[in-house]
Amino acid sequence: MKIPLYLAVAQWTLLFAFGLLLIVVYRQLGRILHKTDTAAPLGPAVGSNAASLEYSRFADDTVQYLTPGDGQPTLLAFVEPTCLSCEKLVLALGEAEHAGELSGLRVLLLTSSPKSYLKVSDAFRATRLECGRILAQATTQAYGATSTPLLVAIDRDGVVRAAAPAIQLAEVRTFGRACLLPPAAGESIPITATAPRYENDLEAATPAAGAD
Amino acid sequence: MDVLILCAKTAVACLLIVAGGAKLSDPASFASTARLFLPFRVAWPLLSAIAVGVSLGELAVGLASLTLPAITALNALVFAIACAFVGVSALGYAFHRGRSCRCFGALSQREFDAASVLRSAVTAGIAAVALAHVGAAAALQLDATARVLLLAAAGLLALAAFTAAKARGTDSEPEPEVAS
Repeated sequence: MKIPLYLAVAQWTLLFAFGLLLIVVYRQLGRILHKTDTAAPLGPAVGSNAASLEYSRFADDTVQYLTPGDGQPTLLAFVEPTCLSCEKLVLALGEAEHAGELSGLRVLLLTSSPKSYLKVSDAFRATRLECGRILAQATTQAYGATSTPLLVAIDRDGVVRAAAPAIQLAEVRTFGRACLLPPAAGESIPITATAPRYENDLEAATPAAGAD
Repeated sequence: MDVLILCAKTAVACLLIVAGGAKLSDPASFASTARLFLPFRVAWPLLSAIAVGVSLGELAVGLASLTLPAITALNALVFAIACAFVGVSALGYAFHRGRSCRCFGALSQREFDAASVLRSAVTAGIAAVALAHVGAAAALQLDATARVLLLAAAGLLALAAFTAAKARGTDSEPEPEVAS
């Protein structure tokens, strides 16, 4: 069958026009995603009161309720077993814990993944730190945990003293010291984020309460 | 030579379809541009209707030009519209320099400047090429199926332009306020 010349030309022109529009949409999509990624603040504001949270503890599958400000400084690590930077943070936390540098602190690893996911990571499987699954999406929203890893230092009064992505042992030590800052001292420890923001969307991945 | 003429014809038709579809995604902002060229105060609903009318007109002419290639009068109409673009660009350059023209809705952030006049002139030039006589008459003969398929593809193009402009419009700068 012979195609009229006009039809052939029109087809190619339309294809070209579609291609141009595709590029426009693709670029805009990238822009929107980039905005979404950078616009949201990562972590709670330093100096704010840390929110209470519920999590399912993997060790005994019990639901725990954490109330920051109960007199015990807390170091929260929002991590995912599938995130390489999170593995490094878990190793660094384990090392600091083993060396006694986090004594007096409650160290808690929080993830949105089910318990079965821990086996994908040696660091998560082997860690002796308390690890649990976040039960409510409100928790990740309250802590601004839009990407992992995120380390949050909370003092004994429940005030956030530092919040930033971290993976190195030195950073873990700094966060540990931040947890122990005297209350109302108005001090702050400068935290330099070295960990790349991982693409894992913790907030989106957080399941409804009680789901597994 | 025939290929060149047909390319020019289809290119201008696609341009009109994309421009019409994109403008329809945000008639309010195009209405604010249209207002710049009206010498008297116009009520907002009328202004909005003018904007939608112009967008639909562009879309309709583009669709007709693309799917009915044998009607040579449409080539003249397209050329006249392209000349109108040159006039509008020139007026915009003269009196509203730096204002966004919204020629492609939110798809383009181009302003009225010398380059916009040049672009319009190039478009008019291409439309003028499309006026030329195509040697092989059979080249323009389309059966009903081909016309329907072309219309569907052109409609899809308009829809894609509408969607792309809508997406781009989500974070574009706000247009100046339009007094009613």
